[in-house]
Amino acid sequence: MTRRVVGLVVVLAVAWGGLAALIAAGMTPRLGLDLQGGTAVVLTAAEGTDPDLLAVSVEIMIQRIEGFGQVQEPDISISGDNTVVVQLPGVEDEQRAIEAVGQTGQLSFRPVLAAFPGIIGPLAGTNTPNVDNQTGLTIEDDIYAESAYLLHEGSFQPEVLELGAAELEGDDVADAVPIFDTSSAVWAVSLDLTGEGAVKFADMTGEAASYPPGDPRRQIAIVLDELVVSAPAVNPSVQPGVGITGGRALITVGSAEDAQKEAADLALILRYGSLPVEFEISAVQKVSGTLGADSLQAGIIAGLLGLALVAIVLMVIYRSLGLLAILGLTVFGSLLITLFGLLGEWQGLTLTLAGITGIIVSIGITTDSYIVYYERIKENLRSGMDIEEAVELGFVKAYRTILTADTVSLLAAGLLYALAVGAVKGFAIALGLATLLDIFIVRAYTRRAVSLLAETPLGSGGWFSIEGAAK
Amino acid sequence: MSAWSRLNRGETTIDFVGKRKRWFTISAVLLLISIASFAISGLNLGLEFEGGLGLQSPNPAGADVAEVRSALEDVGVDDATIQMLDDGEAVRITTKELDTEILEVAVDAVVDVTGAERAEISIEAVGPTFGALIARRALIALAVFLGVVVLFISWRLEFKMALAGLAALLHDLLITVGVYSLTGFPVTPATLVAVLVILGYSLYDTVVVFDKVEELVEIEEQKTYSEIVNQAMNAVLSRSLATSLTSLLPVGSILFVGSFILGAPTLRDFALALFVGIAAGTYSSIFVAAPLLATWKEREEEWQDRAEWVSRRAKSGRR
Repeated sequence: MTRRVVGLVVVLAVAWGGLAALIAAGMTPRLGLDLQGGTAVVLTAAEGTDPDLLAVSVEIMIQRIEGFGQVQEPDISISGDNTVVVQLPGVEDEQRAIEAVGQTGQLSFRPVLAAFPGIIGPLAGTNTPNVDNQTGLTIEDDIYAESAYLLHEGSFQPEVLELGAAELEGDDVADAVPIFDTSSAVWAVSLDLTGEGAVKFADMTGEAASYPPGDPRRQIAIVLDELVVSAPAVNPSVQPGVGITGGRALITVGSAEDAQKEAADLALILRYGSLPVEFEISAVQKVSGTLGADSLQAGIIAGLLGLALVAIVLMVIYRSLGLLAILGLTVFGSLLITLFGLLGEWQGLTLTLAGITGIIVSIGITTDSYIVYYERIKENLRSGMDIEEAVELGFVKAYRTILTADTVSLLAAGLLYALAVGAVKGFAIALGLATLLDIFIVRAYTRRAVSLLAETPLGSGGWFSIEGAAK
Repeated sequence: MSAWSRLNRGETTIDFVGKRKRWFTISAVLLLISIASFAISGLNLGLEFEGGLGLQSPNPAGADVAEVRSALEDVGVDDATIQMLDDGEAVRITTKELDTEILEVAVDAVVDVTGAERAEISIEAVGPTFGALIARRALIALAVFLGVVVLFISWRLEFKMALAGLAALLHDLLITVGVYSLTGFPVTPATLVAVLVILGYSLYDTVVVFDKVEELVEIEEQKTYSEIVNQAMNAVLSRSLATSLTSLLPVGSILFVGSFILGAPTLRDFALALFVGIAAGTYSSIFVAAPLLATWKEREEEWQDRAEWVSRRAKSGRR
């Protein structure tokens, strides 16, 4: 008995105390674009841009934002003939997000001809046209030029690389993902090429492998616009004239502290490198929520009224058990708000109308868990069990049902999260979290609270008791 | 004994399986209306799918979202998306494609409420936001989910229960689509979420109901499958009613109070889908999924033998 009381007190303290601490720390859930607004970036392309190319650019932007991870549920639309409006909910690192979305980036893989470490300035033999005499860098680079001097801001110090004509481009890349190689404890990017890209890549790396290790010509430059983002050297084990075959390669990034982020950024660039259209950021504006404060308020008032009605219904049907369910709903609500607050702080998770819907539905599901259990107890009491037996055996059977039904909800949440985008993803997170909480509360709260209630006068005797509800 | 207390004690004796023709007829009529409406008038796709017009106006009068919305609603433009730019200095309105006359009236209304000059208002075509992409990805996720759920229910309960559950789910989805088609409410990505909710709820409810059937199948060795299903349905009826009541109350409250009294049409569209879907979900678990299951199972040899044995015993008992 004491253990159950202590357990119950701990659950209540964690739920209510957690919520109070969260509010005290000012970490209330982060609201999404539709509820609170955010930042709108207006991107303008040149007049007369092909609408199809614009549409492709928007698709790439959506994927970039998804890959960015920090931003939930953006809104992107083509406006007029040549404008794209990107709306992002309040983001932590706003500047980085805006840049990531609009970055034009033409991606190419080019052979390295020579390296000039640490030198930024006039170079020997740069009398060639298109080279800036001050910086020694090529201006207005054409990726198919036989020779170009581009900057490589390596992890140690900047260097200038002389590059040959591009041999692969952004659309030769099928996929790129950051991975952690556990055997050598380094971060790397796993690169997958298309069929055609694989052939070109084997040629290119086969050529590079013919130079001795340490020679800059063993390097392959990955160039975005006019910047070398990475210049990995071909591994000593690669056969000259054969190259890296099979269309799959590993680009080792390193084990430094920021290697993980570096690998992720490189993978992003490789995957969505090139937008086919060049954009200019023509405006950055603050935007309000689309739902408006009035709708949100109306929704909250209506929701609370609905919950009050639910509370009354539960009390009328289940009496003292209904009271426990209402208390349990406050535990559920407190924990859910706390989770959303924490995830908003740590993961940039935002709560949108879709998420709130997920929560409303999960209130129905968590209420149902009480109802399934209480109906079992009533059934057991009517079949002649005494109150303690009815409560104990009822839990075992009800828990089985609850677990089965919750598994279906969890499957839905997990698959929607993995496969869907935008608003649907927001809904999946809310539904998934709430369902996990439901299972936790059934075990940690409901079971203890009901078995304790059964031992008090509210268990048997009187209209308001458990037995009263079964009659 | 009153109906209420019979229900409360699980002692109702409604013949869910035997009267299945009646339930199936009701469902068939509802489905026909839904499909006919969908075929004739289709769905009113929101601007996330179809695109529309974007109006931008300065806002010297300092109108807020609610004021702009009600000004537009007064001239018959509802379902517009309204956003304040730069802390209310300007307002951006996105609506569906409008006829020239209505557009003129709408611009007048905007001028009135924001205090801007007519010439300061810019109007341009707006393409769809990625509603189509959201829908496409959601449908893929849905297809995978349905496959997995059939496997899960087949493993945890049984295959025919999975099929009956899917049938009930389809029933609920079609009816919800029908309601949207009939009312002409715009379909947005938010609606899509509501539909997914319905799907989850419908399956969840069916699983709870079938779990009881499965339990009774193991205990009752002298009853036909139909009798067992009937007994299970009567036993869970009070749970089904209590659950749908507690699920529908918050949604219904948002639907009625939130949208009709306090005036928030965005919530209305959303709540309507949820309300109809959850109601249909409860109904279909008991009146569609369960009788279907009984019909399919009675065809199995094992249960046919059981039915024959039960009826022989009943006759000999009478003799």
